[in-house]
Amino acid sequence: MNRLSFGWTLPAYSVLLYAFLYLPIVVIVLFAFDAKAIPGLPIDAFTTDWFSASLGDTRLVGSLLTSIRLALMAAVLSTALAMPAAMVLAWRPVRMKSLVLCLVLGPVVLPQLVLGLGLVVLFRAAPDLIGAPAIVLAHTTMTSSYATLMLYSRFLGFRRSYIEAAMNLGADEFTTFREVVLPLVAPSLIAVLLLAFTDAFGEFVVAWFLAGFTETLPIAIWTSLRQVISPKIYALSALVILVTLFVSVSAQVWILGQSRRECES
Amino acid sequence: MSAAHDIPRRRPLLRAALPAAGLLPLVLWQIVFFVVPVALIFGVSVWRTQSYRLIPAFTFDNYIAIFARPAIWRALLLSVETAAFVTVACAVLAFPVAYFIAKKAGRWRGLLLVAVIAPFWISIVMRVAAWRLLLGERGVINQVAMTLGLTDAPMSFLLYSPVSTAIGLIYAYLPLYVLPLYAAISNIHDNWIEAALDLNASPARTFFEVILPLSAPGLVVGAVFCFVFGLGEFVTPALLGGGKQLMFSQVIQDEFQRRLDWPSGAAMAVVLLVLVFAALALSMKWIRRASGETGL
Repeated sequence: MNRLSFGWTLPAYSVLLYAFLYLPIVVIVLFAFDAKAIPGLPIDAFTTDWFSASLGDTRLVGSLLTSIRLALMAAVLSTALAMPAAMVLAWRPVRMKSLVLCLVLGPVVLPQLVLGLGLVVLFRAAPDLIGAPAIVLAHTTMTSSYATLMLYSRFLGFRRSYIEAAMNLGADEFTTFREVVLPLVAPSLIAVLLLAFTDAFGEFVVAWFLAGFTETLPIAIWTSLRQVISPKIYALSALVILVTLFVSVSAQVWILGQSRRECES
Repeated sequence: MSAAHDIPRRRPLLRAALPAAGLLPLVLWQIVFFVVPVALIFGVSVWRTQSYRLIPAFTFDNYIAIFARPAIWRALLLSVETAAFVTVACAVLAFPVAYFIAKKAGRWRGLLLVAVIAPFWISIVMRVAAWRLLLGERGVINQVAMTLGLTDAPMSFLLYSPVSTAIGLIYAYLPLYVLPLYAAISNIHDNWIEAALDLNASPARTFFEVILPLSAPGLVVGAVFCFVFGLGEFVTPALLGGGKQLMFSQVIQDEFQRRLDWPSGAAMAVVLLVLVFAALALSMKWIRRASGETGL
């Protein structure tokens, strides 16, 4: 804290900005309860019918389940790829490290549109993979970048004296990993899994290009946005948004708590 | 590094092989599913099509054709303008909040930071759907404005125009700008600000001569990401922008998927990539500094 406070303007402005960030979320949740078939102000009557209607819509629920299944696979795959790589990058001298980092982090800055189109060209060589497999492969590519970055910073802060202690006491690499490293980074791993899942679950552009006849939830919503939207979409979106917020916030608070404990110890 | 040398050396083969084994799967994966697709885009961009069939060739015609079609020029210009506007708007909107979180929020800073980023994790399609509810002719904003008597007729420019695209993009990338700004402002010691004030600098002068220059790394890094993402973004312009004034990303998608002219679409994608790389290259020095590689 310093004396330069700008009075009440700074807190007041911050409140406004948070309102801007959460306004669309509030609106979508609010309209999920609107009894009218075409949502709009003023809301005269509230209903929970749209929630049961959306959960009874087999096509919508099917796309939701597809999204969950594919995002789960992408999250597990990308974490499995990212963890050993992050350990090596953080702990061992790596030749051409900046080149490796460019390779790993490239998908972050590459426009999703370009990656998607490039993958469309690539999968022309393997048309059988178009659909669910292609979506999982693409999402793994995208989320493994974030996963590697997050785990890399976690491993940089890891106290390597623990490893030395274990190995001086005669543990081999695998025992040390299983008994020392894994338990200590488990919370970060779970947080990374959750964030990778969230990212893959919501991704649209690349999935849309590679989907074939597979329909994920973002694709289903995209399709319905081109027509008159049923309030069922808002009801399901409201549910998904609340779960997403809960998952991402708890994952990040978890990471935050971890790094704080690390600093204090 | 020291750990590797201090431990008694057993099974040297395993020790030498482990790092490679750890790194290799990810590197191979990224080569196949990231480097190769990008290379393919470059490759296809010099090919030709004949009656919807790809013909391997080597021609720069696709690039020449881009510059010959004014519609594509306009789309590219609109994309660059929009991305630049969104970047500046995000910087101005994000700065006070980043300062507030970094310097004034006390023990709430962690939670406030998480709360800024949280909406970013929601699927872009859902966020855009919400903005359609807000901006439409019978949307929330128009209804509220008319009830309050601010306007008589609904403001139709709010949806399906570059304005709505800009609003959607600002909403999408504001959280991304707060993060690097927060990091940069946290690194400014309170003593330096106090010193300026003690030496009788006005708050405005303190801001412009101490705080702003010291937050430059965060400003630049945030700007690059905002601009790069804004330039390539597809969903927001496609769903909010209407069909009249197309953005570059929409033209690329249209070329690829509707007109099935992959070489032409690929050439446009290469132009987009060149812009992205140029923005990154111009700011590389600052990205290094912000990531703490060279320090300050």
